[in-house]
Amino acid sequence: MTCRAYCYVTVLMTFGLATQAATQPTISTVNYAVPAISLVRQDGGRVSLAREMDDGRPVVLNFIFTSCSSICPLMSQVFADFQRQLGTDSARVHLMSISTDPEQDSPARLRAYAKQFGARAGWNQYTGTLAQSQSAQRAFDVYRGDKMSHAPVTLMRIAPSQPWLRIDGFASPAELLRQYRLLLATE
Amino acid sequence: MIPALLGWRSRIAPLAVLVMLGGTMTAAGAHADEAGERIYRLGLLPSGEPLRAEREAGMGVEGAVAACVNCHRRSGLGMKEGRRTIPPIAGRYLFHPRAAAADELDLPYVEGMRADREPYTDETLARAIRTGIDADGRPLSYLMPHFQLDDAQMSSLIAYLRRLAPAEVPGVTPSALHFATIITPEADPAVAKGVIEVLEKFFDDKNHYTRAESPRLHSSRRMMFKVNRRWALNVWQLTGAPETWEAQLRAKLAATPVFAVISGVGGHSWAPVHHFCEAAELPCLFPNVDLPVDRESDFDTLYLSKGVLLEAQLLAQAIRDRQRAVPVSRVVQIFRAGDVGVEAAAALDKELHQSGLRVVNRSLGARATQSELRERVGQTGPGELLVLWLRAPDLAALALVPPHDVAAYMSGRMGGLEHAPLPAAWRAATHMSYPFNLPDRRRVQMDYPLGWFRMRQIPIVAEQAQTDTYLVCAIVSETINHMVDTFVRDYLVERVEEMLEHRLVTGYYPRLALAPGQRFASKGGYIVHFTDSAGTRVSAEGDWTVPLESASEK
Repeated sequence: MTCRAYCYVTVLMTFGLATQAATQPTISTVNYAVPAISLVRQDGGRVSLAREMDDGRPVVLNFIFTSCSSICPLMSQVFADFQRQLGTDSARVHLMSISTDPEQDSPARLRAYAKQFGARAGWNQYTGTLAQSQSAQRAFDVYRGDKMSHAPVTLMRIAPSQPWLRIDGFASPAELLRQYRLLLATE
Repeated sequence: MIPALLGWRSRIAPLAVLVMLGGTMTAAGAHADEAGERIYRLGLLPSGEPLRAEREAGMGVEGAVAACVNCHRRSGLGMKEGRRTIPPIAGRYLFHPRAAAADELDLPYVEGMRADREPYTDETLARAIRTGIDADGRPLSYLMPHFQLDDAQMSSLIAYLRRLAPAEVPGVTPSALHFATIITPEADPAVAKGVIEVLEKFFDDKNHYTRAESPRLHSSRRMMFKVNRRWALNVWQLTGAPETWEAQLRAKLAATPVFAVISGVGGHSWAPVHHFCEAAELPCLFPNVDLPVDRESDFDTLYLSKGVLLEAQLLAQAIRDRQRAVPVSRVVQIFRAGDVGVEAAAALDKELHQSGLRVVNRSLGARATQSELRERVGQTGPGELLVLWLRAPDLAALALVPPHDVAAYMSGRMGGLEHAPLPAAWRAATHMSYPFNLPDRRRVQMDYPLGWFRMRQIPIVAEQAQTDTYLVCAIVSETINHMVDTFVRDYLVERVEEMLEHRLVTGYYPRLALAPGQRFASKGGYIVHFTDSAGTRVSAEGDWTVPLESASEK
């Protein structure tokens, strides 16, 4: 993967002691090069991925597809709850969900999907061509060959000059919030 | 079906042997406990209130998103998403006695099944559903929500789980696997003949391999794998008016139960066949039709593409793009009554209407002469845009020169793609929707099916339909191999949804992919025009495009 060349990875396990069975997420810090691609936002706007990420706000990113029935609904619900828990801060954090099934996920489908989870302003969904989506997945090392093979990954970056915090595995909304506040404090 | 409750738990033999002759058409839904089914499939409680559940870390989930069917699927046999396996929860997989290994059980193999677990009782199952603790007292996966169900709701859900995945599978016997293919009277007889020939040869091949090459495999204990079954093809040729087809199909299915419908050829109407399969809960895999039924909430029929409805979306996008560059005074659509152009034109009309374009629809009678056709086309004036939903003979009969200053668009699927017999003067000026991979890009993809046809001396009379048919046979064959004798109709559809994306040989399509709830495997296309004044070379006017919005979503 392109990012690997300049990756430095610190792996530390969190002991979030979320009640039960969820395997604890693995947290690492990684530098990723954001590819120069355009995507289509849920409102139909054609946008540059880099510009969407560099709009000045901290970014929290995940990859989903709307026909996914097991893990994506959970990840989307985590985003929705995280957004609610941010409270008045929610507009100051940019949540981004990139579809891994862009041929199916039209902006209209993305809008319906987001509505289902009660997404507020500040959480955008993106589609595009298959090549664009795969390019974004590869850049963030989440591409696993097909949409069914995806794993839950959440990425967080506090500012454009900063590395990404990568959370592999299920992270609860509270855990996301904790990581977000830690990043904010150390910046 | 109530007696089947006992049947589940009886230890007669592997499913392979159980599945004799199931005279009755299951339609599991029709018999099962309806309240339980509504909870399972729709996430609705008997009161009409949404099903509510809590996930990990206190996150609430309700209604359709909380329904069991999302993960455990309609079959109740679970699913595999990447490395994650959602276990089967059809009753037999919950209540079986503890065993050291899966092959000690009298159960068809399903990934994620657990042998060495205490059998669930109604009490421990209710506990699992409410609190996420399994029969052994261990926590279930974090993906499993904890559901809020009262005792009555719980018992109807458990009753439904007990009845899921019927043991009797019509069309599957210990020695044969029965399929049907459906040919409507509107089908082009030459295409139908070509398609049936591919099916017959594929079934022949399949049966030769089965008999000569593959020994019967079974494990040292009771569970059998890969029992040799002959693939039997039933050609269901329909007759008469479309209103009578459903009754004909019901009679045919009752007389010869089949496991699934495969391929098939239709003409203008396919909806009666679609509705029949939906009502019978009978998988209908990838029929050759120009006009599919666009209802993604339906389950049983899968299509390779949206056909002319996809072309309407592609043309709408191309016309909207043109409108931004050149003023378009109005759009004139020409189509024949009784053909799929009627519905395609209506779909395009709806799309363009939303963009504020004026659309005029000129329908030609099914028997209108070609001079009438030329007259209609000739009535188009400068600045107007012509859309032709016409078959090859009509295209060949167009006036030698297109009307002055009129841009023309056409359906490639109806007109014969790169073989469309457009008069020379039309060729460079006509934009064609091309909902397939481009000829030079699919050449390698096509080597395999074309070689297969050649070696079996199958005359190519309808290359695309025959290739699609070959593809469908290969898809079904592969999927059934992966099902390892777990013959459940819903499971067939679910496995196709999950596996299709992995196929490398995709024939006319650059890529095929489905997922739960998706019913159209190829989703885009090109706009092309002829490169030369004669011959079959076409030039794409842009990249492969998936129409962004479709009228059906609004």
